[in-house]
Amino acid sequence: MNCRSEVLEVSVEGRQVDEAMLALLHTILLHRSTGKFHYKKEGTYSIGTVGTQDIDCDYIDFSFVRVSSDELDRVIRKAVGEFKDAMGNGTDGMGQISLEFYQKKKSRWPFSDECIPWEVWSIKVNVVNLANEQERQICREKVGEKLGEKVINIVEVINQHEYLPKMPTQSEVDNVFDTSLKDVQPYLYKITFQITDTLGTSKTTWFCAY
Amino acid sequence: MAAHFDTEYQRLEASYSDSPTGEENLLVHVPDGNKSPWHHIENLDLFFQRVYNLHQKNGFTCMLLGEVFELVQLLFVVGFTVFLANCVDYDILFANKFVNHTDSSKVTLPDAFLPVDVCSASIRDNVAVMFVLMISGVFWLHRLIKFIYNVCCYWEIRSFYTNALKMSMAELPYFTWQEVQARIVEIQKEHQICIHKKELTELDIYHRILRFKNYMVAMVNKSLLPVRFRPPLLGESVFYTRGLKYNFELIFFWGPGSLFESEWSLKPQYKRGGNRLELADKLASRILWIGIANLLLCPVVLVWQILYAFFSYTEVIKREPGSLGARCWSLYGRCYLRHFNELDHELMSRLSKGYKASSRYMNCFLSPLLTVVAKNVAFFAGSLLAVLIALTIYDEDVLAVEHVLSSITLLGVCITVCRSFIPDKHLVYCPEQLLRLILAHIHYMPDHWQGNAHRYETRDQFSQLFQYKAVFILEELTSPLVTPFILIFSLRRKSLEIIDFFRNFTVEVVGVGDTCSFAQMDIRQHGHPAWMSEGKTEASIYQQAEDGKTELSLMHFAITNPQWQPPTETTHFISQLKERVQRETTGDRQTLTSLSGSEPRSLIANFLAGPPSLASLHLGRDGSLTDHGPVGVSDGASALRSLSVSSTRGSCSSTHRSAGHASSASRAMPGSSTDARTASSGSSVWEGQLTSLVLSEYASTEMSIHALYIHELHKQQSGGELSRHTWHRQDSDDSSDSVTEEGGSGGGNPNPRNPIPRSHTFPISTPISTPGPIPSSNSGPNPDRGTTPGQEVTPLQSNSQRRSGGNTDSVGPGGRVVRSVRVPMGGWAEDGRGGRHPDTVPEEGSEDDMPPNTHKVT
Repeated sequence: MNCRSEVLEVSVEGRQVDEAMLALLHTILLHRSTGKFHYKKEGTYSIGTVGTQDIDCDYIDFSFVRVSSDELDRVIRKAVGEFKDAMGNGTDGMGQISLEFYQKKKSRWPFSDECIPWEVWSIKVNVVNLANEQERQICREKVGEKLGEKVINIVEVINQHEYLPKMPTQSEVDNVFDTSLKDVQPYLYKITFQITDTLGTSKTTWFCAY
Repeated sequence: MAAHFDTEYQRLEASYSDSPTGEENLLVHVPDGNKSPWHHIENLDLFFQRVYNLHQKNGFTCMLLGEVFELVQLLFVVGFTVFLANCVDYDILFANKFVNHTDSSKVTLPDAFLPVDVCSASIRDNVAVMFVLMISGVFWLHRLIKFIYNVCCYWEIRSFYTNALKMSMAELPYFTWQEVQARIVEIQKEHQICIHKKELTELDIYHRILRFKNYMVAMVNKSLLPVRFRPPLLGESVFYTRGLKYNFELIFFWGPGSLFESEWSLKPQYKRGGNRLELADKLASRILWIGIANLLLCPVVLVWQILYAFFSYTEVIKREPGSLGARCWSLYGRCYLRHFNELDHELMSRLSKGYKASSRYMNCFLSPLLTVVAKNVAFFAGSLLAVLIALTIYDEDVLAVEHVLSSITLLGVCITVCRSFIPDKHLVYCPEQLLRLILAHIHYMPDHWQGNAHRYETRDQFSQLFQYKAVFILEELTSPLVTPFILIFSLRRKSLEIIDFFRNFTVEVVGVGDTCSFAQMDIRQHGHPAWMSEGKTEASIYQQAEDGKTELSLMHFAITNPQWQPPTETTHFISQLKERVQRETTGDRQTLTSLSGSEPRSLIANFLAGPPSLASLHLGRDGSLTDHGPVGVSDGASALRSLSVSSTRGSCSSTHRSAGHASSASRAMPGSSTDARTASSGSSVWEGQLTSLVLSEYASTEMSIHALYIHELHKQQSGGELSRHTWHRQDSDDSSDSVTEEGGSGGGNPNPRNPIPRSHTFPISTPISTPGPIPSSNSGPNPDRGTTPGQEVTPLQSNSQRRSGGNTDSVGPGGRVVRSVRVPMGGWAEDGRGGRHPDTVPEEGSEDDMPPNTHKVT
């Protein structure tokens, strides 16, 4: 409970799902990543640089900025791909993908390490079916606008001076940041998704990207 | 272009000599690290609960020891019972069989024990014993694992106390909870225990510790839980035991499939009105299964209860047989009397303060018939006992005669029991005043008790809150048998109401999670117009907390946590009320000091001085002031005046009159005056370190005065509308309609019965013929009553001699009873329809795409 949670809701067409998701997830991760830390002897560290990259969407009139890290992109794409497969294609459906930032807390022997989330972004997707090309064209623009709004929302939330884990010392860096990537260092995160089918029952799938 | 610029712009060679060669100019950061492990705690609910528990149990060692002994006790109870049942040769013990000893003829205890192999064989052969042993073994292991887990958790809390709060375990008992809490609030700024907010408030901590308890209090307050029954023969009674409570909590809060998905959030589907019927069905079937499980486990639990009761109480009963005749606050009473957001220790200290007055009140009611019988039984038993004792003193061989010792013991018990039925000759009781004194501590009381304190109905109802210890034990013993039936037949029918309750009264508070909305203590949402929040509340009848719970809880919380900063509206309410009370009391300080030489110096004494001096003032001038006094003063003054004895009544009148002024002061509020005395006698300590203790005493006194004031004002305001606040809201028991009806809770009992039989003292109301300043001055805070002066209803004259307010003199003793007058008044017609029906329940079907009912509160 002791974590912030933000909910974003979008309504898109079936083929726009993955691009919309990528746009939002990457936008969040852009603000939740730093350069690699290089620790020095005295317990200080310097931060490496992070490149950014503009990505244009194919099915939406929209482009977004993401961290120019192919590794990170691969992980996110994989998660979104699985989400899309789980949604099934073509039919109406509801789904929710959550990006959860957490930190680890070392525990003593009998207990395993705790993962304590501090921020959860839930993106609710509503897939709509469109009848003809004209509607698709309108949708293409509208979704673009909507995503633009969402990106501004995200930035507003992130700009609030809220709790972030403190910068760790070298020994603890793994408890706060995901250090597995070569070129970028996001906060530890986890992606999960949940599909609601037409009957209203929902099942949760854990896709964990550490 | 770009290529062109590239050639134009050349990087300037670094000319700074101080930068180390070969290394770029980098910003160097210093990590702040996670020096404290206390930032961002995942489960704050549990965390705060543990912090509180550790504080209440006086530190880690005490708690550890307590838990270890509990485990040992468990082993002992089982082991000893099995041993007694299988390994003792009772024939030897009773000397029915002789042991053939070679040398000595003395029978020793070990002689009576069966040899180990015989004993173990008999245990092994007995299937039932093996079964019991196995069950208890599993249970014990479960407890052991829980214990080990707890030790690990509490060790962490211990280090939280020592490292973060800077309180060592040794000095923990010297800190009050308020101090601990203040430190937690302080360190939040540094450690960020909770990440939602920069600062934690006291209310957040209370909400987290008491999340489920607040729900239970609210459910009892709204008469949702089936705890009242009407078994044949016994009459109306309350059955609420620990077992039942455990089951309720299991069903609602933490059992598998409960309404809550985690400690802090209600499952989302329960927040939507859409499929409430299906959810109710689901809940009903769950209750059914849990009921059946209870039924199956019933023998095991029953055996356990009996054993436990036997081992824990027999010794006490032997030592002091009177203890069974002693009373204790019943579990239901604790729930009924609890404020929202009131921690266990606060409740217990409040109730303990009221204990003495309560038992004195209960002792007022001794049946004269029983007294006569008891006197005679005591006489005969006493003479037998005297003879036996005299004989024993003469020659102690008498003791060796069979059953002499046991008959001495029995006669002793008999006499003690009889004596408890014989009233003390030298005491004079005044039930009305005692009840008022009790009210000063317990803070809640159904309206109709006032003025009916001498009646047996009131006593019976009070005994539901304050029951005999023996009854308590008996209820606990029968609980395993009764609980499954209550669950299956009573609670199950309420499933829809329960679903509605949780949906309507859950709010999501940022940084706290889902809490009971009553616990927000928001006057606007849950205030009751008859309890001082007239005009401020927007609550429908379904949303209003009964018995002024919202208002009193708010006052209580504000007084116990002076640092707390409530929302502005609430602040306004509190300060307004405080001001009024203060005005009444300080305004009369001068009169007191002028009347009697003793000048009370501390503030508390001021508070105390208020009522009695007022009373004396009014006794002197009586009616004159009521007519001409300024609005506020006469309003509150009469409230405070009736704190003191209604001096023309019954037996206490003579004592009161003869008593001097000083004694009237102490008579008016003996309880709080003792508080004040301890507080003011500690005024030298005031400068010392004990201020917090003194302050808490002061707070409890202040709260008592506020509670009395609010009740008094309520009595004046609510006038004849008493039947709305019936002690027993009948319709909640006739819950069949809530299942059959689609609207869920439509219908209900159209005529809430008043449990009190009407008598000549029953509320009389008369129309006031003179509209004008008198009624409006009387009903100052109640604007809508002044609008129809012709239909003005006077405050209840529960006793024609009682002076209840400004318009005492405007009601003649032979006032005409005009009940119909009330019908058009606001709220009455609605009340008559059956009271507490959820008009907020949305229509079925139309709410499918309604957003969840919860709204965010920051």
